[in-house]
Amino acid sequence: MAKAIKKSALNSDQIQEAYIDYVLTNNEPPKSVYNFAKSLKISENEFYNHFASFSGIEKAIWTSLTITAISKIKEQEIWAQYNSREKILSFFYSYVELLKTQRSFVVYSLKKYSKRLSTPDVLSAAREIFENFAEEVITEGLESGELAERKHLSKRYKDALWLQFAFIVKFWMEDDSVGFEKTDEAIEKGINLAFDLFQRSPIDHLFEYGKFLVQNGKLKEKMRI
Amino acid sequence: MKAQESMPTTKVERSAKFVKTGFQIGGNYIKHYSKKLFNPDLNRDELNEDNASDIYNSLSQLKGSALKIAQMLSMDKNIMPKAYITKFTQSQYNAPPLSGPLIVRTFTKSFGKPPEKIFDTFNINSTRAASIGQVHEATLNGKKLAVKVQYPGVGDSISSDLKLVKPFAFRILGMNEKELNIYIREVEERLLEETDYKLEVRRSIEISQACKNLKNTLFPTYYPELSSDKIISMDWMEGLHLKEFLKTDPSQELRNKIGQALWDFYHFQQHELRAVHADPHPGNFLITPDKKLAVIDFGCIKEIPDDFYNPFFKLTSPGFMNNKAATIDAFRKLELIRPDDSKQQVEFYFKAYKEMISLFALPDTSKVFDFRPPEFFENIFDWGEKITKMPEFKQPRGVKHFIYINRTNFGLYTILNELGATVKTDTYQPHV
Repeated sequence: MAKAIKKSALNSDQIQEAYIDYVLTNNEPPKSVYNFAKSLKISENEFYNHFASFSGIEKAIWTSLTITAISKIKEQEIWAQYNSREKILSFFYSYVELLKTQRSFVVYSLKKYSKRLSTPDVLSAAREIFENFAEEVITEGLESGELAERKHLSKRYKDALWLQFAFIVKFWMEDDSVGFEKTDEAIEKGINLAFDLFQRSPIDHLFEYGKFLVQNGKLKEKMRI
Repeated sequence: MKAQESMPTTKVERSAKFVKTGFQIGGNYIKHYSKKLFNPDLNRDELNEDNASDIYNSLSQLKGSALKIAQMLSMDKNIMPKAYITKFTQSQYNAPPLSGPLIVRTFTKSFGKPPEKIFDTFNINSTRAASIGQVHEATLNGKKLAVKVQYPGVGDSISSDLKLVKPFAFRILGMNEKELNIYIREVEERLLEETDYKLEVRRSIEISQACKNLKNTLFPTYYPELSSDKIISMDWMEGLHLKEFLKTDPSQELRNKIGQALWDFYHFQQHELRAVHADPHPGNFLITPDKKLAVIDFGCIKEIPDDFYNPFFKLTSPGFMNNKAATIDAFRKLELIRPDDSKQQVEFYFKAYKEMISLFALPDTSKVFDFRPPEFFENIFDWGEKITKMPEFKQPRGVKHFIYINRTNFGLYTILNELGATVKTDTYQPHV
């Protein structure tokens, strides 16, 4: 329930908090903005000064969780020593740690999307922030040679990481192991796999070899024999 | 449960790995029989070798408990044909490292802060792999520490890995599933204990306290306040692993000294503590610069209950087995002879096990034993190969405690052999 808050201006954090409290208590969004504003003892107008809708609040919560995780990991002393693989790993480990503080809300917020494959609307802003971060890390990796520059494909690396993001959050939501240890494993294995694929690998060599054969070996003719 | 369902990839992958091995082994048999059509003299060595290498290859691609099982099987050389052994022993120093962020994560979970806030320095790159974890170097208040960090999820995967490895274990050992389950459970229990680092710290402290007066043997100090269920902090021990030590071409006197320390360490535990460090593989020991033996890993402890200790060690006391009635009685207590065995069977197993135990306990029954000559080991191998071909030994016999006691003693013998040591074997006598 909305706490007894001073009648004067509420900031957006307080509105967020009240909203989380409401949905977790009632397991559904408030009936209307009017109702919700009334229970907070603020005007509807004041609500709209901060948010355009209830899903706007959820979006903002996800955004701030994601921003907090990114700025937290960047504060670590060890950050500068990490390569891009480790930076992404580090992001996910802090992210799931942070999500733990809001677990009920996370589950509430995403559960209604569980059937859909596309990005849930509430994550759209968080996605942008994550992808900016991922792109920054990937660019570093490409520059240092840690990751393989591939025509067209290297632009899609961040999409692959977004898929990991969605998978990890979903996995974590359903994880019932002690200390979410299974999620740690999922992160370690999934991100390592992604980065193994981003690196120069036998696939690149295979591709180059094939290209070479096509260009020089008159492969087509020979195949017909 | 949903969470489990959502992650079948690993399990399926792992099963697939084993299924593949199954096909390969099947293939090896076909290869063997088709070759045999043309060359009837072909023996099974090549087949065993092929099978072992395929099983090994698939095991080495798995982490955690499967690796441990490979180690386990490699230690139990007395029942494994020779060709399997050479392949399996390769698996002892092999596991890919954890990422830096996961190390940081593990510390944050255990202590609420990253390693660099706990120690004065902490090397995020591990210096050494242990089968279910890895070791990092750290310093605190001018002291160098070794910090062991466990892989996440090891405990959970042990049971499922054991299920996967089972059919192959039966195949390799040529035994029946139902009968072997009791042993598999014993192994599972020990393996699960190994994942409990809090237990390991407690036992390490207890045993190193109890053993502190042993000559030429050192133990690191453990720091429970810097340890958790996934992390163990202890003093960093300087020293060489057995292989490196042997490269320094140590004198015979020195070899004997280290060998004696090892022998005394094990026999003091068996007879005075009735609980034994049951993982005598070379990676768990160091030879320090002042030429002492350092014991650095207490993951696997086997407690020896009285109903095993008494009959078993009676058998190894000199002259005991000349008394046939008492020997058969002891064999019955150890379930080497079963209640429903016929008269002929009793006679057969009495002879067979008497031979085996006389062979195996030779070091204990001699006052001084030289572990260098290969005959002792060859005799044991030959015996092992002989019994794997005998239908009477198709089913396992003996209480479950044999697994770890045999593994311990045989592991010890193997190290002493590699060391080329001669030791006094009557320093600690059984209390029976």
